[in-house]
Amino acid sequence: MDSLMGLWSGFEVAMTWQNLLYCLIGVTVGQLVGVLPGIGPTTATALLIPLTYGMAPVSAIIMLSGIYYGGMYGGTITSVLINTPGEAASVITCLDGHEMAKQGRAGVALGVAAIGSFIGGIASILGLALIGPPLAEFALRFGPTEMFSLMLFGMTMVVGLMGTSIVRGLVAMFIGLTLSTIGMDPVSGMLRFTFGQPFLISGLDLVTISMGLFGLSEIFLGMENLTAVGKPEKLSSLFPKKEELKSTGGAIARGTGLGFLIGLIPGTSSAIPALISYSLEKRLSKTPGRFGKGAIEGVAGPETANNSYCGGAMIPLLTLGIPSSPTIAILLGAFIMHGLTPGPILFTQDPTFVWGVIASMFIGNLLLVVMNLPLAGWWAKIAMIPAKLLYPIVLIVCIVGAYTVSNDLWDVGVMLVFGVVGYVMKKIDIPMAPIVLTYVLGTMMEKALLQSVKMNNGSLIGLVQSPISLAILILAAIVLVGSVLAEIKNKKAAIAGDVD
Amino acid sequence: MKKLNMLAAVSVLALLAGGATQALAAFPEREVTIVVPFNPGGASDMTARIIAKGMEADLGKPVVVVNKAGGSGGVGMSQVARGTPDGYTLSYIPVELVMHKALKLSDLGPDSFEFIGQTTMVPAALTVSSDAPYDTVADFIKYAKANPGKLRVGNSGTGSIWHIAASALEGNQGVTFNHIPFEGAAPAVTALMGKHIEAVTVNSGEVKAGVDAGKLKILAIMTPERDPAFPKVPTLIESGINLEFAGWGGFGAPKGTPKPVLDRLGAALQKAASSDEFKNFIVSRGMIVRYRNPEDCRKFVDDQYVFFNDLLSKMELGK
Repeated sequence: MDSLMGLWSGFEVAMTWQNLLYCLIGVTVGQLVGVLPGIGPTTATALLIPLTYGMAPVSAIIMLSGIYYGGMYGGTITSVLINTPGEAASVITCLDGHEMAKQGRAGVALGVAAIGSFIGGIASILGLALIGPPLAEFALRFGPTEMFSLMLFGMTMVVGLMGTSIVRGLVAMFIGLTLSTIGMDPVSGMLRFTFGQPFLISGLDLVTISMGLFGLSEIFLGMENLTAVGKPEKLSSLFPKKEELKSTGGAIARGTGLGFLIGLIPGTSSAIPALISYSLEKRLSKTPGRFGKGAIEGVAGPETANNSYCGGAMIPLLTLGIPSSPTIAILLGAFIMHGLTPGPILFTQDPTFVWGVIASMFIGNLLLVVMNLPLAGWWAKIAMIPAKLLYPIVLIVCIVGAYTVSNDLWDVGVMLVFGVVGYVMKKIDIPMAPIVLTYVLGTMMEKALLQSVKMNNGSLIGLVQSPISLAILILAAIVLVGSVLAEIKNKKAAIAGDVD
Repeated sequence: MKKLNMLAAVSVLALLAGGATQALAAFPEREVTIVVPFNPGGASDMTARIIAKGMEADLGKPVVVVNKAGGSGGVGMSQVARGTPDGYTLSYIPVELVMHKALKLSDLGPDSFEFIGQTTMVPAALTVSSDAPYDTVADFIKYAKANPGKLRVGNSGTGSIWHIAASALEGNQGVTFNHIPFEGAAPAVTALMGKHIEAVTVNSGEVKAGVDAGKLKILAIMTPERDPAFPKVPTLIESGINLEFAGWGGFGAPKGTPKPVLDRLGAALQKAASSDEFKNFIVSRGMIVRYRNPEDCRKFVDDQYVFFNDLLSKMELGK
């Protein structure tokens, strides 16, 4: 009841016209940086902090958090339309979103993403308002040991993404894992595969790799026969088909829960719930064969999950003062710069501030969905542009985007190389999704494992001593055995079919 | 032939000198760029941005901040060090500069730059969980001595400044910690709050939220003077441990930048570093304003180079 009272007073703060305006500016900027590949919400938040210097603290934080969750909406657009993820959380949306666009269903993909994002966003903010503090305490129990087990669990999900051939899937996983080892060894500080290049010391950037693998390779492939590039016959309506409604609703509901829970855990990133949601939807689907060919759940689930992640990730920050992700760490910096220290004391000392920010997130999500739904139909028309005109534009967007990752041509080069790699892989039919997934999980997994071993004086015992970790490991084992058995059954059926 | 070469060399020199005086006459004629070798949003980035604003007001030409992260600062700093020494491209110089050679990250060292001045000190704070059984550094060290290798101390990455801070304390007191590297100070602090580790030795600004929430307590500040943000917390020296340790930040130009240009930049930096906006910001982010002019800065950085190389050579890192 206290929370509801707080929320009510929060709306009084958030509904003043200045704060409404700042909220609108924040979500619009967030949406824009989400659209532009390269500059992500983290960078945009950081760059705008100095501008908030003269603003009232509550307005400043309302605007900056608007950029954060607004970015999750924008990233979808380029993923769907030009197969180029705007930020890390939307990488997985390329798989089915772009396929939908090719079928003339870009509007449906964008519309469903916007609605899913809205539901995920609102539900996670409700979670933040009503049950935040006890959950945050629980999330703190996730240390490196538990993190490793969680990532391992994520890895077992990759099996389902391998496509038609297990061998090709394993090759893709191997490539992803190898890429994830580039850079400085997190524990010994040794440099691996850097070839004396300072650029490689901190490893490769996920968005740069994805822009090459997904976006550029698509262009290369299309250029083989420019006139024949599959422009959709016509644009379908913005609404999903009747038979898709139920599974889409399920995907959104599951994405909401998944994103919220993973958001609570410090040290994760918004790409992870999106990736896991995609694998989960494929696994639960009765027709997993549709995935990668324009399955609507493959857009709805991940896009919901990355938005609901944002609300979840605000909980450790607001209730305990813990920066659980890079963007949240920058928000924490903004709080401190405005003389506020987030944490339980802020709730009691300055409740109107905290509740004002939370209430503004409701308003911001509403603004975003109102902006995005009509825009979806408009954006969808991009799919009708002839390839001859569209490709040069996409290429420019990709190059500019890669350049902004670190203001250096290096990233542009990396993207071009991965574009060629992606092209070759499409030719020899190696799936892209496992590369990206193992790359993201592999980096975090290695770090967590080395930390856990070091914390237990060189022993793996911690993995089974922690009850949370043990439970996740058992779950992972069950999923792995289950999916291997299912794959074998599928393969047998497929082989039998071939013979016939 | 030899004579001709001499002649050529002399005329080139004369040209260069001419160019230098011309540059001086109107420096700066166009915008000045400050390269920050880290990502936006961090303490270094914010420091550089506020300084850039202050210098812009003094120089009368735009001062632009560009982030070039990567390689523990090596990418951005190397680019500036290799650049044209005309004073139009400067670098934010973090403490990492003096550690690069020892960690085999790059060939950068104090000699790669001309210094424009130092602006900040970044104090390390030995921080533990608020319900830990030790209330003073002395108790903490006593516990460490009784349980060698048992205390897990989180840092912001192997070979990072806060890893070296813990190692310096370790070496000074003859104890053994178990160093746990994290990707930056924030995840280390989070792990401390979840009691996955026993202590951190990161910047005091990073633990402020945790201390205010009553989950963490600071045992000591590692700078010679107390941290104005935590006036009640003693320094290591006050606690009977003869050790000072801090990160720092300053600004530099490529080697060979003409002296008059450096003087002009130095004056602008000094002005920017004495503004109230800068001072307030630095204190709010848990750092300390510490201005050193170019000569003092050069001497300080050279001393730090010796100090860190000595420490790092004992740590066997980057091998």
